[in-house]
Amino acid sequence: MGGLTNALKAYRYKTVSIAPLVSFRIAFGMLMMLSILRFWWRGWVSTVYILPKFHFTYYGFGWIRPLEGQGMHMLFALLVLLTICITIGLWYRVAATLFFICFTYVELIDVTTYLNHYYFISLVAFILIWLPANRKYSVDVRINPAKSRETVPAWTVDIIRFQMGIVYFFAGLAKLNSDWLFDAQPLRTWLPGKTHLPIVGSLMYQSWVAYLFSWFGAVYDLFIPFFLLKSRTRPVAYCFVLVFHIATAIFFPGIGLFPYVMIVCSTIFFSAYAHERILCLLPFYKSYPLGSKPVYHYTFPSLTACLVMVYVVLQLVIPMRYLCYPGHLFWHEEGYRFSWRVMLMEKSGATFFTVRDKESGTRIDVNNAAFLTPLQEKMMSTQPDLILQYAHYLADEYCRTGMKQPEVYAEIYVALNGRRSRLFVDSTVNLAAQSNSLRHYRWVLPYE
Amino acid sequence: MKQFFSAIWGIALMAFAISSCNKESGKQPDNPAGGFDKTAMLSYYADNLIIPGYQGMQQKIAALKTASDAFIAAPSASSQFALKTAYTETHLQYERIAAFQFGPAETSLLDLFLNFSGGLDYKFSTDGELTGFSVDTTTIANNISSGSYDLTAMTRSSFYAQGFPALNYLYFGEGAVSKMDSKRAAYINALLARMKTLTDKVASDWTGYRSTFIGNTQTNVGSPIGNMVNQLAYQLDLLKGPRIGWPLGKQSGGKIFDTKVEAYYAGISVALATENVRSLKKLYTASGSGKGLSDYLVALNQSALNQDVLTQFDVVVAALQAIPDPLSVSLNTETVKVDNAYKEIQKLLTLLKTDVASATAVQITFMDNDGD
Repeated sequence: MGGLTNALKAYRYKTVSIAPLVSFRIAFGMLMMLSILRFWWRGWVSTVYILPKFHFTYYGFGWIRPLEGQGMHMLFALLVLLTICITIGLWYRVAATLFFICFTYVELIDVTTYLNHYYFISLVAFILIWLPANRKYSVDVRINPAKSRETVPAWTVDIIRFQMGIVYFFAGLAKLNSDWLFDAQPLRTWLPGKTHLPIVGSLMYQSWVAYLFSWFGAVYDLFIPFFLLKSRTRPVAYCFVLVFHIATAIFFPGIGLFPYVMIVCSTIFFSAYAHERILCLLPFYKSYPLGSKPVYHYTFPSLTACLVMVYVVLQLVIPMRYLCYPGHLFWHEEGYRFSWRVMLMEKSGATFFTVRDKESGTRIDVNNAAFLTPLQEKMMSTQPDLILQYAHYLADEYCRTGMKQPEVYAEIYVALNGRRSRLFVDSTVNLAAQSNSLRHYRWVLPYE
Repeated sequence: MKQFFSAIWGIALMAFAISSCNKESGKQPDNPAGGFDKTAMLSYYADNLIIPGYQGMQQKIAALKTASDAFIAAPSASSQFALKTAYTETHLQYERIAAFQFGPAETSLLDLFLNFSGGLDYKFSTDGELTGFSVDTTTIANNISSGSYDLTAMTRSSFYAQGFPALNYLYFGEGAVSKMDSKRAAYINALLARMKTLTDKVASDWTGYRSTFIGNTQTNVGSPIGNMVNQLAYQLDLLKGPRIGWPLGKQSGGKIFDTKVEAYYAGISVALATENVRSLKKLYTASGSGKGLSDYLVALNQSALNQDVLTQFDVVVAALQAIPDPLSVSLNTETVKVDNAYKEIQKLLTLLKTDVASATAVQITFMDNDGD
């Protein structure tokens, strides 16, 4: 124990070249700019944030609302500006802080747009606020050369590596379930839809291919961070990163930018020397011998160290919180989000809601399309917390149109990982009377 | 380090090569080795259901024009009776192509202009609103008397004043025989001409679109397979909603909307609904040719699911056939039978929306998705 404490103490004062932070800042900033422009260009700002009448919100964030009128478009314009500021290192800390707040705000508007890599981006943006990534090769330093630094505490680079490692490792752990390993699901369902691919297309009906992909994916996710950490294995490991994520992008184009986010962010594992060499290719970049400029110091080093430890512990605990819930994780999805569970299941549902007036006994079959977008309906139909939010919204809506005591019942069928669809929630329970909470929902039928 | 970078370049080039072949491979036939031949399936659909379906529609519209001309020339109960046969034939033929709302039909917005269903995203709970299979008699009357109108207008009243909704009102509605005059005749002919133009366009566009259609064996949004699975579910949603359920009062607490059934004035709603489901089953099985979506499911080891879907199709057809036409009367007199059909439709819808959509891995939205 004493050894560990000493090692931690020594680690606190370990310093490294700032180069990895500089190139990460630039790469992340540019990637975010592309990501935001792509989202905007595809018209999703309107279809996802402006047009829907109702938004599913996160527990505790029910007060979050999209901006009115042109507000969302203005916000996206601001986000693009902020990514430029981050990339060139102009007013870096303010830009990083605002980017984190605005991006996270956008993600909090509607749960049905949740993607693991959006969560990852929020986390990295948060980390970047506290890192001195603008202390070299930035407009900030150009304006005020006294701010220039060559070396930074080692943890400032390692915290990003840690975050990457968390993503991979927990994604790997999540794959260690019987559906994935012994049934090759959901890949066995998805791959026959990929027979159009050249060369490999004809193999897509073979179940051994699904098994191979499943096992390779699990092993890759579990071990790749460790191979990226070791300098001897790093070049080969990064080749695997490229092959794996490019393959994912080709097979599953619907996954969006996730593969590219991982390809770009994994470069943080490279040594300072490698980063320095790449940066030297850029105009105006100057290499100085280490120690020629002062080290970056945090004003409150002990406090900083404590906060970093808290962050690390949280990142380890949050993906494991599903252990606090009884029942089947994929069925109940309690503790499913924010846990790096990517492409893990094929789940679809059909929902038939009925609103019953307690006074008159009148029953109304709800037409979901009148209230929700296709994306919202799809996401809601398999996720209990969203089903409950929707039921509450329906009760409010029918209250507003004159019903005194609306009761909401749902007949929902869900199919999971190639199995036949089954009744998902107790159709005799008045969902309007069930409270929204982080506790286990008893009205979801057991998975068996 | 140098070797490392050249390795990375190699991988990047390979990936680029694969992804660029990927785009071109849209033209290559699907490889049937060890599995199911999707190209053969799509070819069957194009050559035996879709293209002949539109050709049949062209013929029926031509026959309808002849009967319509005879009715206009000498409006009487007997010419109206002859017209009804031709009208019914044409509308039934439309049900056979209703599920092909993608590609050329989607570009031409055939469904909106020929047989507007009101869409799914409307609440169906108030009288007088233009929802479901309404007919906009006010706009029709205005169009006839003014003689100036724009049938290409993208408004709900425009959709409800042309195509089958308007024709079935003008042929069989109140005063169809007694009110016939040159202005009314001109409007009818304008409607028929528009139906012909649109159908001709879709039919001829399919000649070119066929190769795109059979060449794309993907299952993502907008792909032919994705479109067909989504259309199966969408058509059942229409059956459950505007065709049967909403007129029955399912969305309005039991308040029946008997005039909002499909082809209310012709009184053939049940026949149309039945033909719709029969055609969906034909689409699902590729008429039992061994090349359909049902066979794809069997190839994916989903025989039990396939059997359940086939059985449920037959159950729905039987449940619909048990309802006597006109549906507008049966809604009030045969509520139990209509309600039973509604329930069976919902079961079939569930099978298609969850089990079949899941097993065939089709996507329903364009948004990024990292696996639920």
